[in-house]
Amino acid sequence: MTDATQSDTAFRPKPSLPPPANTVGAVGWLRKNLFGGPVDTILTVVSLYLVYLIVQFAIEYGIINAIWSADTYRECLDINRGEGACWAGIGVWFNSMMYGRYPDEEQWRVNLGGIILLLWLIPFWLPKITGKIQIGMSAVLTFPFLGAALFLGGEFGIFLHVMASVALTLFAAVWLHVATTYVFGRSLAELLVSATGFAGKDDRLHKYVLLGAFGVGFVLSLVYLGSWDLVEIPTTIWGGLFLTLVISGIGIASALPNGILLALGRRSKMPVIRVFCTAFIELFRSVPLITILFMAVTMMPLFLPVELNPPKLAMVIVAVCIFAAAYMAETVRGGLQAVNKGQYEAAQAMGLNFWKMMALIVMPQALKLMIPNIVGSFMGLMKDTTLVSIIGLYDILLMGKAAGQNPNWLGFHTEPLLFTAMFFFVLCFAMSKYSQHLERTIGGGYGRR
Amino acid sequence: MSIDTQALDDVVHVASAISDVVVIELAGVNKWYGEFHVLKDINLSVNKGERIVICGPSGSGKSTMIRCINRLEEHQAGDIIVNGTEMGNNLKNIDAIRRDVGMVFQQFNLFPHLTVLENCTLAPIWVKNMPKAEAEKIAMQYLERVKIPEQAQKYPGQLSGGQQQRVAIARSLCMSPTIMLFDEPTSALDPEMISEVLDVMVGLAESGMTMLVVTHEMGFAKRVADRVIFMDQGEIVEQNTPDEFFTNPKSDRTKLFLSQILAH
Repeated sequence: MTDATQSDTAFRPKPSLPPPANTVGAVGWLRKNLFGGPVDTILTVVSLYLVYLIVQFAIEYGIINAIWSADTYRECLDINRGEGACWAGIGVWFNSMMYGRYPDEEQWRVNLGGIILLLWLIPFWLPKITGKIQIGMSAVLTFPFLGAALFLGGEFGIFLHVMASVALTLFAAVWLHVATTYVFGRSLAELLVSATGFAGKDDRLHKYVLLGAFGVGFVLSLVYLGSWDLVEIPTTIWGGLFLTLVISGIGIASALPNGILLALGRRSKMPVIRVFCTAFIELFRSVPLITILFMAVTMMPLFLPVELNPPKLAMVIVAVCIFAAAYMAETVRGGLQAVNKGQYEAAQAMGLNFWKMMALIVMPQALKLMIPNIVGSFMGLMKDTTLVSIIGLYDILLMGKAAGQNPNWLGFHTEPLLFTAMFFFVLCFAMSKYSQHLERTIGGGYGRR
Repeated sequence: MSIDTQALDDVVHVASAISDVVVIELAGVNKWYGEFHVLKDINLSVNKGERIVICGPSGSGKSTMIRCINRLEEHQAGDIIVNGTEMGNNLKNIDAIRRDVGMVFQQFNLFPHLTVLENCTLAPIWVKNMPKAEAEKIAMQYLERVKIPEQAQKYPGQLSGGQQQRVAIARSLCMSPTIMLFDEPTSALDPEMISEVLDVMVGLAESGMTMLVVTHEMGFAKRVADRVIFMDQGEIVEQNTPDEFFTNPKSDRTKLFLSQILAH
């Protein structure tokens, strides 16, 4: 074969051409999405008009006619005849809607608790930090005790004292870890091991160093917490957004681990465990939350010894946790079923035992698939906690309602509801956005095929 | 299957190194799926270093049989002894056997949420408690052996089918198994990628690994197998050396099967 014929028969791909001009850019987008045909054009115009009406009303009601300072609802009505919002009232009631009847001079404790939790979770988003799972676990498992000690005050019992000390020690360890990582470029554990001269020794000895350091921290925390002298604030006067976050926070934090255990139990081969988990899930999923709340608050104390007499809030939290776990279990089960059977087999064939297979292979894949549903459940749970207002806990919703019953603020109902709605929107929208971010970033291997 | 019998005759057989130590012993193994009798009285003994190719029509129980060897399937009657350990309901024995027996699947079954390197180091780290650095060193050696060290940091979803299957082989080898099971390792691959996987398997055979391979790649059987086993309806119908098996099949069922897969 000569060179000439070879170049004639060799495969040469055609060059790629640009797309037609009217299908790209802003004009292309408008044509395609808004003015695709007569029906599209009419719908676009009508929708734009509706949007205009809504926005115009919102601006008039919320800004132009709104009253920003007044002492009573009457003053607002005298000025704008109800055609605008009375935001002045929100200013007056803000404190109550945030903290309920928690005394003004003690509210720093609530703020401090919130700040500690935020600080605890910040390392989660710092790129260099190692051991993020442990940090998250420590926060979820022990912060509630530190929070309880701080918010309740008074003479806390030995159990709370110990657990709060553990929490404080872990919190200090997390931030020491962050500091050593950024200052020395080494983790806290490494630094402790090398500082005590165990670096060259057997790996198994290292954990004794860490345990020792934890012990020292624990004793210090124990003494420090013993020196606290906080006024006791009973849970009955907790309220507002603070109470909403306490209930939904504990509910959300407990829902996933409990849900995972229940889902695994329901798929177990052991009949007793399977039947128990299935019955538990089906029972609590089929009953309205409000019924469970009423049961918890009115019925349960009848079965418990008088001297125990748990506060209403504790019963409500237990009820919410049970309800959330039952719902989450079904979400998790769905995720587990979506993981290919071959993944289980590959893990087993390599000799991984059940818990390692679940923790390392199955759960990471299932959780990634479940993120939208899990966050959906969390959002639902957060909004469902407003039901506690029906059994007389002054959460943010009931506190807002109470505002309208004050003699000076009779009829002041719309604005607290709008304000509450805004809070829930901000919290839930943030969760939703964060879940979308997680979906994109976790386990990068999926998306990039 | 584009191999004719003539082409098979030209294949040079890989030297075998069979010792007389029996590493797998199946005695009177029976298994049912509900009412369906899927394995009927299977007797098989495999020596160390032996390479066995198992073929047969679909539904003949060949996959089920090798999956019983590492207990991915439970047998209901008979004995299975692997490396002197009896397979029973004892979880310790099962774990010990699984540590010694590697398996490669038709669908690769790589872990999609882990990189190639993490796929390879997971079992050594979590099952054998090997330090991470050592596990990574060993993993890189095996990835080089299957000729894809440069893909170590990628995720399985970014690799071609043939590359994924080679990673799966490397992943099994990282546990330094003494026996390797292959369950139709090339059946899910595009034709262009089959040979790269078979090459790796031939290399493994040359190194003296005990191998049980369920496959329809008759060229591979001819080249590597010490024994070919033909199964149908849950029974071992015939077993023989590849030469005898292909040129002089004894039962009619085997003849029919061979004529079907070698005809075109």
